[in-house]
Amino acid sequence: MSRIIVVTSGKGGVGKTTVTANLGMAIARLGRQVALVDADFGLRNLDLLLGLENRVVYTAVDVLAGECRLEQALVKDKRQEGVVLLPAAQSRTKEAVNPDQMKKLLGALTQKYEYILVDCPAGIEMGFQNAIAAAKEALVVTTPEIAAVRDADRVVGLLEAKGIKRIHLIVNRLKPAMVQAEQMMSVQDVQELLAIPLIGVIPDDERVIVSSNRGEPLVLAENVSLPGIAISNIARRLEGEQIPFLDLMAEHDNLLNRIRRLFRN
Amino acid sequence: MTSDSDQQSLVSTVSLSDSAVDCHSQVRLKSEGERLLLILPPEAEMPGAASWSDLWEQLKHRLNAGERFITANSTVHLMAQDRLLDGQKLQAIADALNEVELKLVRVYTSRRQTAVAAATAGYSVEQQPPAYSLNQSPVEPAQSLAEPLYLQITVRSGVEIRHPGTIVILGDLNPGGSVVAQGDIFVWGRLRGVAHAGANGNRNCRIMALQMEPTQLRIADAVARAPETPPAQFYPEVAYVTPDGIRIARAADFSKTNFLLNS
Repeated sequence: MSRIIVVTSGKGGVGKTTVTANLGMAIARLGRQVALVDADFGLRNLDLLLGLENRVVYTAVDVLAGECRLEQALVKDKRQEGVVLLPAAQSRTKEAVNPDQMKKLLGALTQKYEYILVDCPAGIEMGFQNAIAAAKEALVVTTPEIAAVRDADRVVGLLEAKGIKRIHLIVNRLKPAMVQAEQMMSVQDVQELLAIPLIGVIPDDERVIVSSNRGEPLVLAENVSLPGIAISNIARRLEGEQIPFLDLMAEHDNLLNRIRRLFRN
Repeated sequence: MTSDSDQQSLVSTVSLSDSAVDCHSQVRLKSEGERLLLILPPEAEMPGAASWSDLWEQLKHRLNAGERFITANSTVHLMAQDRLLDGQKLQAIADALNEVELKLVRVYTSRRQTAVAAATAGYSVEQQPPAYSLNQSPVEPAQSLAEPLYLQITVRSGVEIRHPGTIVILGDLNPGGSVVAQGDIFVWGRLRGVAHAGANGNRNCRIMALQMEPTQLRIADAVARAPETPPAQFYPEVAYVTPDGIRIARAADFSKTNFLLNS
């Protein structure tokens, strides 16, 4: 039984595409067949992050227009077996596709792939409606910022209204030192507001930017990074494994900080 | 500790225009004996009238939030009023009801097209003269409040709940969300959004919450926002109207000072 999971956030720039690319790779490493679908028509980036830009020949719109077969549009990743990308068209806008067409397209992918991750565009307009049309599950990505959390809250409401009941939360770009100093919302604060189960916390790391620019997903890197581990853990939690959350605070919990906190309270 | 010292004076801002807020513009579920009435708001009500997708969202939220109280397999009568519904929309409504084990059997409408669509889909149809829907419109002197609306949900950003009666929310009211009631508002959780009680002008209405951190509180025509510095500790609190504007008191003290003195 294949799972169609939409990765969404409402607000732009919180890391939907980065999460989709890395999570897809991480799931494939567990031996699953994964299709990554870029639903951001007109502003596609997923191919860039995966480093597959120069191998895109056909796009989802070409498939829908009957100009090629679905298999022709899928771009296989040579570094990691089991991952394919269905690119979005760059020349069209989000109105080029409607929800029924998306359903048909993703339905065809379920024949062969066990996981279908849909990278949703920012916003809650047509592009969002298309992206969530066929989804059975959702991963809501947010950063610990008030605007991102507010938009995530709105999106959760919309997903619930569309009958998507399995919704999990990913908190991205957490800065433990700032949380410790009470300058940033903590994961608990975010969770308290959104009231949906947490599936992963990804710490802020400059290596994420480097890997995005190079088109080399973090989880494939030789020397593992903290964000890479966090994303691999999310993949295993999706598979149903019980994995404890990384203790991101430990590093910053030294004596000086403890004394500071003691005085603050 | 006297009750006065507990009263936080909220910062009163402008008072609302005295035109009553319309609470009849949303989907309503009402039980009437064995059957359940699903009442859609009339179509040509105001320029910003609810579109089909708004109605659809409201319906899904209401069904999800009230699931515990729905007796399985009860029958639903759809009061479509002057809404234009085609076969597809009727099917969508029936499917949504099916998910919570409700069965759509009868459609009341004042539109010929809707009646035809409903008959084709196999529901029993009762076509009413359009005048009926006028009687049902908010123009009627709605003195009596509707039965309380009980919802077990988190009212999230962008969601607005309106009801011509008292609203009870088992869950949080998040910032960006709003609740508008003609009666009282109870939030059994954190109130962080906008709450408007007594929306048709009743200043005796109250807003109660386990944790009061509102963006804004409104009772009848009075508006207030919370103090800039949040209290160190939260207690269940009650907001009510005084001649000086909206005030908040701890629930424990409020019941002593108000309910006893008034009785």
